[in-house]
Amino acid sequence: MSALQQYALLLGMVVGAVGFVLSVYGIARSLGKTRREPGKDVPATSGRLSREPVWARYHVRYYGYALLFLAFDMEMAYMYPWAVVYRELGLKALLDMGVFLAILYLGLLYGWSQGAFRRQR
Amino acid sequence: MISGARQAEPSWFHRLVARAMARRLTVFVVPGPDVARAYGLDIEAAGLQVVDTPRHAGVLLLIGDPPKGLREAAAVANAQMPRPRAIFAVGAGDVSPLPEPDLLVDMNQEDVAAGVEELRRSFAAGAFAPETEDFEAEVVREDEDDEGEMDPGHMHHDSDEEEDESDDGEDEGDQNDQDLDEPEEKEVGEDQLEDFMSMIEMTEGMPASGDGLIMEWVPAAYGPLFPGLPGGLSLVFTLDGDTVAETEVEPGIEGHSPVEILYGPVERIAERAAKLDSLTPVSYGLLIQRAIESTSGTRIGEEEALSRVGALERERAASHLGWAASFGFLIGDRSLSRGAGRLQIALLQAANVGEVGRIKGDVEDFVHKTLRTPLLGSKLGGIGIVDGSGAENAIGPVARAAGFETDARSEDPAYQDLGFAPVVRDGNDALTRFQLRLEEIRQSLNLVLEAGAMAATGSTDSDDSSGTGTATVETPRGMAALRVTLEDGMVTNVQLDAPSMCNVRLVETVTMGKEVADALAGVGSLDLSPWEMSG
Amino acid sequence: MSTAIVILALLAGAYVVAVLEGWAATGRFQPAGPALDAVALLGRESVVTRSSDRIFFEVGPVLLLISALLAAAVLPLAPGLIITDLATGALFVNAALAYVMVALLMAGWGPDGVYAMVGGWRFLGQLVGYSMLIVMPLTTVAMRAESLFTTRIVESQGAMWNVVFQPLGFVLFFLAALAVCFLPPFDLPTAPGELAGGVMSEYTGARLGIMRLARMVLVVTLSVTVTVFFLGGWLGPVLPPWAWTLGKSLVVAAAMLFAGRYVPRVREEHFLQWCWKYGIPLALINILYVGIVLLVVGK
Repeated sequence: MSALQQYALLLGMVVGAVGFVLSVYGIARSLGKTRREPGKDVPATSGRLSREPVWARYHVRYYGYALLFLAFDMEMAYMYPWAVVYRELGLKALLDMGVFLAILYLGLLYGWSQGAFRRQR
Repeated sequence: MISGARQAEPSWFHRLVARAMARRLTVFVVPGPDVARAYGLDIEAAGLQVVDTPRHAGVLLLIGDPPKGLREAAAVANAQMPRPRAIFAVGAGDVSPLPEPDLLVDMNQEDVAAGVEELRRSFAAGAFAPETEDFEAEVVREDEDDEGEMDPGHMHHDSDEEEDESDDGEDEGDQNDQDLDEPEEKEVGEDQLEDFMSMIEMTEGMPASGDGLIMEWVPAAYGPLFPGLPGGLSLVFTLDGDTVAETEVEPGIEGHSPVEILYGPVERIAERAAKLDSLTPVSYGLLIQRAIESTSGTRIGEEEALSRVGALERERAASHLGWAASFGFLIGDRSLSRGAGRLQIALLQAANVGEVGRIKGDVEDFVHKTLRTPLLGSKLGGIGIVDGSGAENAIGPVARAAGFETDARSEDPAYQDLGFAPVVRDGNDALTRFQLRLEEIRQSLNLVLEAGAMAATGSTDSDDSSGTGTATVETPRGMAALRVTLEDGMVTNVQLDAPSMCNVRLVETVTMGKEVADALAGVGSLDLSPWEMSG
Repeated sequence: MSTAIVILALLAGAYVVAVLEGWAATGRFQPAGPALDAVALLGRESVVTRSSDRIFFEVGPVLLLISALLAAAVLPLAPGLIITDLATGALFVNAALAYVMVALLMAGWGPDGVYAMVGGWRFLGQLVGYSMLIVMPLTTVAMRAESLFTTRIVESQGAMWNVVFQPLGFVLFFLAALAVCFLPPFDLPTAPGELAGGVMSEYTGARLGIMRLARMVLVVTLSVTVTVFFLGGWLGPVLPPWAWTLGKSLVVAAAMLFAGRYVPRVREEHFLQWCWKYGIPLALINILYVGIVLLVVGK
């Protein structure tokens, strides 16, 4: 199969999955509609009616990790093709990528020393 | 037809689905699985599967006679359960504002198991019905004004917007006295930027978090029916992301007053005291017993004293096991939660000291295995630390885990004869409290076996005695002190110092600034009981 | 044709995994459990919370299912029994699994409930931790096979399975796989004790059924991934190849489900610290180690 055909098959699978889910919803719907009662559609918070809305600027505490993650993610994008041709190229490939990884690792160590690796209070 | 039937004409498909639902009943427990275990009920063994949110549940299980606050919370939970739903009441009385329970049974395991079978039949038959009614209750209707109160960030936002819009008519020059770099941006293309607000304006006056960022805070109710906390305990955390910025604890349960329960004739007071806190009935029964005895100055014999020691220690071991089960569920350790729950029920159902002796081996293995759980140290180490003066004012296992040797049992002659020494550890965090309570379980079972009897007897004769008496008892959660005044055989004045009232003051220290999971673990490690708190 | 067989095998695997999970959670073996649960969930009302972000609320469970299926589409169950043998197979697995995070964030944000919100964002933190530990062992596996074709990766393990060749990579990948399917002890987004169900708490009825199905398919997919990349896929002496794959996947799935029963839930803070302070250096050492070994062994 050519690559285009393969991706078409995957797209077909996605559509099929969506179709399956919709048909399951349809079967469930055929058993009856959801009755609208007071209090039923309030998000469940352990016995109290919850406030509306909860959408707020959420304060994540791991943004130090997230910045380093970006750097490493870009690196991993380069490592995929490198891994495929590694054995062909031999020692040179190891040294090239070794230098790249070492530089990134130094960045990781720097981040660690500056306190990126903790929960940012 | 069950109380929360779904409206549909039952066809063959509906009946098939109803039968499947009846086989796999999921249940939401009110006030909580800990109360069910304290009554000796094993819900999973009866065939029901306990879930932690009403949205996944089909049956609402009411244990005991819930007070008003819990009944309202249960009504809210009931409204949030998707239909078809049923209500199963065990030993409950009036359950308004909930609808009539579909099944009402007495509080013992056989009746519950038989009730489950009957509930399955009603579910299979009545899950779908042609005519159904809405569930209406006042507590379930939302108040429109509640939304504004809990919303400081958004309100400020609105008021800023109004200010900006009223400024639009004026001169561009004196529009903004708020921000110096604003006026240039306002001049360019003012129409699109009418509603523009810089981050500085938008976050003006809002509190800043620890790292200097100003984010929006959201109130989250970890309310009366939260599965990880003791059933009935109401907390409201104001969450800044996943960190607790503010805490509010409601002392006690609305409609349940431990002190008022005790008023009345002296005759049946032991029964009433047992209802004070269903998690530790023996301790409170003993407390009131001793207080009444101290009014008349009666002394009890040595055998009776030993028997009381046995009963109290058995309850202590069971209470700590129940606490370990809830705590295990909170921290996500399934085997701890299940093992402790089973042992607690077995211990509560033991009829005499011989049976306790048989359970002791299992309990020892369990404690040994639990203390060596991998990664427990990293999960609980350094969590829930109570600093400085807080630790001095703490009581019970919380104080003993901070190095203070406060234990009311040390003054009791019966315990002194048995060679009792309190277990004390120095660590002051959740891990230490966990280890301490497990140690106390071992110690308590040894005391029961040494005492040789565990029946708490002693009657309160209805003579027309008068006077004032005080007594203290080391309940599983700490020392409880009671001062009672009798007049002609009626209890007229009661002063109760319950350990949870003392430890509840530590909730704020333990939760502020912590991640929500750590905050909950800290609160859990304090072992609070909302039933003995009085608002 | 092979598409249909693979999909049926996946669904059967998901059913078996659901039974195993029930066994791990309740201690009772109930083979008819998941089927009854599925039928029962059909009959429940589907509640949509008021003021929910409808698109996110609906797409969340479906996207979880799709990402698991896409990742499974490039995994071979036997020589020739694969839906699409993409030239970038190993990369595609990682790309598809990235949508698990998107799906859970949608499920967290959509219902407008505080427990779900906290659960969703916690999973993002989990992803920042486990993501490198998925990718780096994948790279070393691809280094050995000189290709990203999943079939060639299996064939490259003919002499020695990758679990023996690079045990460090296997351990890291296994732990990261546990984190991807948010199984205990990494079940931060759906923590039953702390968040009362978290991201799954506001789903009811058929939507909850799809979400649970998606989670089971995800566990199956991850088990097959571990098998294909580290345990030699279909390789093995006596039995037919598909039996080997299924057997190995079953063992891996059972290990994943039962591993977390005895350990408390990991703290988010610790998870991130351990992944970044210990996990990533170890993964880099693993890459270096495999690189040197491949050079030395050579061909």
